[in-house]
Amino acid sequence: MPIQMQDIKEMAEHIYDLDAEVYCHLGSSLGRVFNRDRDRCVKELVELLTTRPHGDLVRSELALIANMARTIEDKEERKLCMSEYNRILNAVMSLPTSFASGDVIDPKTARLNEFNLQNRFSDEDHLIICISWTYGSGGIDVGFKLADRLKINYYDEQIFTAVLKRLDAEKDSLRDTAGYTQHVKDEMDQSPAKAFLPDTRKSFGERIREFSRYHGLSKRDAVFFNQSDLLCEMAKKEDFIVMGRCGDRVMTNNGIPHISIYITAPFKQRVHRAIEVNEGLTEKKAHALLKKLDRQHASYYNFYTGRSWGHANNYDLCINTASYGIDGTVEFILRMINRE
Amino acid sequence: MEESMAAFLPWLCIPFAGLLLCIAILPLVRAEWWEAHQPHMAAAWSLLFLLPFAAVCGAGRAAETFLECMINDYLTFIVLLFGLFCVSGNITMSGDLAGSPRINVGLLALGTLLSSWIGTTGASMLMIRPVIKMNAWRRRRRHIIVFFIFLVSNMGGCLTPIGDPPLLMGFMRGVPFFWSLKLLPVLLFNLVLLLTVFYRIDMRAYRADIAAGLKPDISRPGTEVKLRGLHNLVFLILIIAAVILSGTLPGLPAFRDAAGNVKGIPIFGEVRLGFPALIEIVMILLAAYLSFATTPASIRRENHFTWGAIQEVAVLFVGIFITMQPALMLLKANGAKLGITEPFQMFWTTGMLSSFLDNTPTYLVFLTTAGALGYSEGILTAFGMVPVKMLEAISAGAVFMGANTYIGNAPNFMVKSIADENGIRMPSFFGYFVWSLAILIPVFLVDTLVFFR
Repeated sequence: MPIQMQDIKEMAEHIYDLDAEVYCHLGSSLGRVFNRDRDRCVKELVELLTTRPHGDLVRSELALIANMARTIEDKEERKLCMSEYNRILNAVMSLPTSFASGDVIDPKTARLNEFNLQNRFSDEDHLIICISWTYGSGGIDVGFKLADRLKINYYDEQIFTAVLKRLDAEKDSLRDTAGYTQHVKDEMDQSPAKAFLPDTRKSFGERIREFSRYHGLSKRDAVFFNQSDLLCEMAKKEDFIVMGRCGDRVMTNNGIPHISIYITAPFKQRVHRAIEVNEGLTEKKAHALLKKLDRQHASYYNFYTGRSWGHANNYDLCINTASYGIDGTVEFILRMINRE
Repeated sequence: MEESMAAFLPWLCIPFAGLLLCIAILPLVRAEWWEAHQPHMAAAWSLLFLLPFAAVCGAGRAAETFLECMINDYLTFIVLLFGLFCVSGNITMSGDLAGSPRINVGLLALGTLLSSWIGTTGASMLMIRPVIKMNAWRRRRRHIIVFFIFLVSNMGGCLTPIGDPPLLMGFMRGVPFFWSLKLLPVLLFNLVLLLTVFYRIDMRAYRADIAAGLKPDISRPGTEVKLRGLHNLVFLILIIAAVILSGTLPGLPAFRDAAGNVKGIPIFGEVRLGFPALIEIVMILLAAYLSFATTPASIRRENHFTWGAIQEVAVLFVGIFITMQPALMLLKANGAKLGITEPFQMFWTTGMLSSFLDNTPTYLVFLTTAGALGYSEGILTAFGMVPVKMLEAISAGAVFMGANTYIGNAPNFMVKSIADENGIRMPSFFGYFVWSLAILIPVFLVDTLVFFR
């Protein structure tokens, strides 16, 4: 009898539950194998179980749970856990070696990113649009107008401000490296050399406080993790458009349906726009600024997502605003999502 | 050594190789069977050495060899491990400090520097759980434990005789207590090299974890780190004192008989349990008992304290200690004939043998060899004058290269077992050896060029 996806899901749930039970008996989270929320772990397990050769990884994860289970002191409880482990292991071993149907569709990408909105967003899901853009392509205007037309919230710097509150940090002590505003401001206001001066004025006490505030992480990492948490929390409550901040990847990693859009324009066009919107910027400077911003954002995106920024494979839709203009791009996106 | 015995000894090394192969291969191919039959395998390979040995040398000599190795080598080894395992298991750290490359570099550097002052085993047992805990949110973390073994469980112990047993033996034979601090430049050099490599590997793994959506729980502002069971540090100091005493007491006249032998309880034939060793054992067991008696069980529960790791080490190392006897006999008989006269030769020979054999006797064999070379300048030891470079090479080889394999130094296997038990998929015996070949051997080659030419 062919194995149904429901069976696979049940198997994944049993694996998660076994880990939770072992943890419950041992009372220490030191070696818990699945230490995130149930839904997400189960989804990941289903993917592992249905994509060979990664199915082998499941056996490996099971072995880790068994290692822990063997250390349960109570004989009866240990026996129960080990019996469950053996049952699950046998079930995993009996899975077919391939679930391939011949279609090129990647179920994970399709579920989250395919432009089949009827299937993608259930009644409980909110409309979330993640926009990545290159500076000078009019991405911010597109995002803002889109939010206005859809009557949903628009988030860019606001996320960063909320993170500051969560971290109980001063605004001056952190840089919003995920957006453009701070970068452009730095470039326009400061001499380039000043930007690279080390921050040597902090006392030892301040450094310790900072270490404690950010849990030993670098500021940039602490901000990113908090931004991610915040985006996931917001995704449960409201529809919104988020600009940058690796929002697309954060949503994908957390199994949250969304639409990811990359907005760009030819370099020359972007240079012209940058000169238009920033008074006093020469063409030479604008050229250098854009190159630098592109490099920094590609590096930021690559660091936190492991993906290439601006690579068409990573987005549902890539738009050249030079072809449509800002309003045309907004219309185009609205038509795509059937919200004209 | 009798001729017949000398010819027979290489064959008697087969059980040692067999046991090592079992440790290396069986967990991969028959994991559950291996877990259930570890004691039987250790016993079987031990008998495969002891029975032929008894047939050739006589039952008396075989019994003496067996008891000597069990009473004077294994007993103190396992009691020390047991004591440190118990005491460190009663100290727990809770909090939301997130394991990241820079935190891990800091922890490894701290552990490495701590090793020389509380011993590699003490530092390993004390640090391993916090390291696992802080990195619990991550999936790719086996490399952290591998580098932990490299640095905290081995290299860090090179600065004082408390750090690693071979240096304690050297101290007992005339090497000044603080002489080993001369190895500080070598240690710092290696620390910088290895931590640089580690940082790059860890950063790559950290980024992959973040890209996969893993993140630490840092939702609350500010870090809270709580240490519980800190009074156990007193018992840790008691254990360190016991180790130092075991090295210093044998030199005192009160502990020597008229013939200059260390006084002790006769066991069988020439075998006796020396009073200094007995004092060490009693002190360590007392520390372990007091640690348990004064620490709430909830701390051990939080630490996921079980007997599994120490049990596995105790069982396997009985077999390893017994079956490696012929290899040690061969080394003692032939060490001086190897024609080793240069520091780099001492470094590599002592090191490679320490990777598989007990590094204490290996160190002593090559210290004896160096002492017999007739140098007129250097450090005066019980074996003669040993040039500084030569002694540095022997000490560094014995301490550093214990990191090459899981069995090279006592805490290596212990750390592996604790990590295995706590959700970290550690490399197999050969897998770990590949890590050593890829990372440690190039570092040792650079050491040779810079320090031991």
